[in-house]
Amino acid sequence: MDDKSLSLESHRSLWQDAARRFRKNWLAVGGLFVVIAFLILALLGPHIAPYDFLEQNIVNAFGGFTPEHPLGTDDLGRDVLSRMLHGARTAALVAFSTTAISLVIGVLLGAWSGIQGGRTDQFLMWISDLIQAMPGLLLVILINTTLRRPIINWFDTLYEQTKNPFYLNTLWLDYVLVFSALALIAWPGLARLVRGQVLSINEEDYVLAARALGASEWHIMLRHVIPNALGPLVVAVTASMGGAVTLEAGLSFLGIGVQPPNASWGSMLNEALRLWQVFPHLVLSPAVTIGVISVAFVFLGDGLNDALDPRRSS
Amino acid sequence: MASFLLIRLIRWTAGLLLILFVTYGMMFYGAGDPIRMMFIQGEDFDSEDEVVMLALRKKYGLDEPFLVQFGNYLHNLLRGDWGRSIRLQVDRPVLEIVQFRLPISMQLGFAATVIGSVVGIGLGILAALYHNRWPDPLIISTVLFITSIPVYVVGPMLLLILVLQLGVIDVPYGWSGLFHKDAALPVAVIAIGILPIIVRQTRSAMLEVKGQPFIRTARAKGLSEFRIIMRHMLRPMMTPVITTMGLIMIGLINGALFVELIYNIPGFGLLTIEGIKKVDYPIIMSVAVVGTMIIFVSNFLVDIIYPILDPRVRVR
Repeated sequence: MDDKSLSLESHRSLWQDAARRFRKNWLAVGGLFVVIAFLILALLGPHIAPYDFLEQNIVNAFGGFTPEHPLGTDDLGRDVLSRMLHGARTAALVAFSTTAISLVIGVLLGAWSGIQGGRTDQFLMWISDLIQAMPGLLLVILINTTLRRPIINWFDTLYEQTKNPFYLNTLWLDYVLVFSALALIAWPGLARLVRGQVLSINEEDYVLAARALGASEWHIMLRHVIPNALGPLVVAVTASMGGAVTLEAGLSFLGIGVQPPNASWGSMLNEALRLWQVFPHLVLSPAVTIGVISVAFVFLGDGLNDALDPRRSS
Repeated sequence: MASFLLIRLIRWTAGLLLILFVTYGMMFYGAGDPIRMMFIQGEDFDSEDEVVMLALRKKYGLDEPFLVQFGNYLHNLLRGDWGRSIRLQVDRPVLEIVQFRLPISMQLGFAATVIGSVVGIGLGILAALYHNRWPDPLIISTVLFITSIPVYVVGPMLLLILVLQLGVIDVPYGWSGLFHKDAALPVAVIAIGILPIIVRQTRSAMLEVKGQPFIRTARAKGLSEFRIIMRHMLRPMMTPVITTMGLIMIGLINGALFVELIYNIPGFGLLTIEGIKKVDYPIIMSVAVVGTMIIFVSNFLVDIIYPILDPRVRVR
């Protein structure tokens, strides 16, 4: 047993090495556990919630922490725990979709920029410079408010033409808008990262060798560039998911993101804040949850960064 | 040097124009007809209103084609006519509203920058001086911890702790000037938001300067540690800190949006939120104009200051 592990140690892969380094960082491991718990709760949330998240009971509004309602009830007497669980689903959905969209855009444009070079590269990098120089929140607000109406109008015409009831439901439109707005500001970071990787890996001798053997650009991309860029990408994706969660909550806090009756931690915090002096206990659950999850994502990303990039961790 | 600045100026101006164009385009094709919304919010809506609506559109120049409207807007903007608010404070010139609201946010931002810089640079120097000893990881992980908590969580939590639990301060509400005690908490919350950027940048810059030969020389000459820091380390260290001004500005704008909403301060951040909720085109455009101007001017200033602080850049 011992002999085996010893002999294995001599050729550990990059990922095994990273896992070993990651495990030593207890802050990052803690962050990982919180993130996993968050994702599980988001998945199971509506099924384990004690009440329906829309069920109102005005008589019992602003209830305190009781065995029936462990986190109290809000201004309409809705169970806060159930709403928090539903909000977890919103947050996780936004995190995944935003990251997926921006990952696709970022990787494609970044790779294109890096391979193409010249004018294309300059233009794409100028655009991403601009987006990154702007305050993200302001951009998201602008995009979110202005895109809403044309999409609703577009759906109306689609319904007129097809009579498909699918186009009548605009409840989930809030989500789509938040996803696209967040993705639009998130892609430049990923594109920059991929472009940098493409440029530096293209300099390597083994890429030159592959090219000399007649490998196509796409083959080089898939076989050499992407696997080598995976480490930094994992870090960036983690950061992007955490950023999406906090930005979504922030948007909803400002009253611009996910609209009622959909549940979001941000809007719950905003609603609770109106009467914070009288019912401070309602502020606690959303505020503490958002805080803990943001911190967990940052520590997780930081740990991954140190683990996957041995040169920078020292 | 002059051509370098000129190229930068052209690039930033082109960027500013592009962003204004896109925002105006999104407003034009997106946000919905503000005149119609004005009427829908009133209860009765009949055919006679169409005539009034047409007249109103004409009055605000909303009946022209897109490019003409945008051209007019830019032209007026340069002459100091930022349009009139359509729904927020009906018919009041936007420039007047901005002139009233923006200084409040700027005072908050300025105070927060001063406090954040003093505390941040101090902590950064401390962390670098005690590199590899306990104060360094303590400061770094505390800063990482603080960065990761969003402003809109820090603000309410501080209210709960300071006002309700400890009872050290009264409920801060509204705006009664920068030196009123109500301004303390908002300024502190914004300062906390930008603190981490400054601490990190100062620390890494300090670590780099610390190993330079001229520091060893200064020490060999027998200068006191304090004099070495003040005379020899501070200037080369400031260069990278100054370059983060763009980031700091972003932090200030984000901070203004949330903090002004939380503490009900009638600044530019609150104006942004109100304008967007009411779909008030000219207000939203003014937000885009002021927001991009702040970012671009600060970036351009960095481009100018950088060569002054670091002569090596001047050669290039």
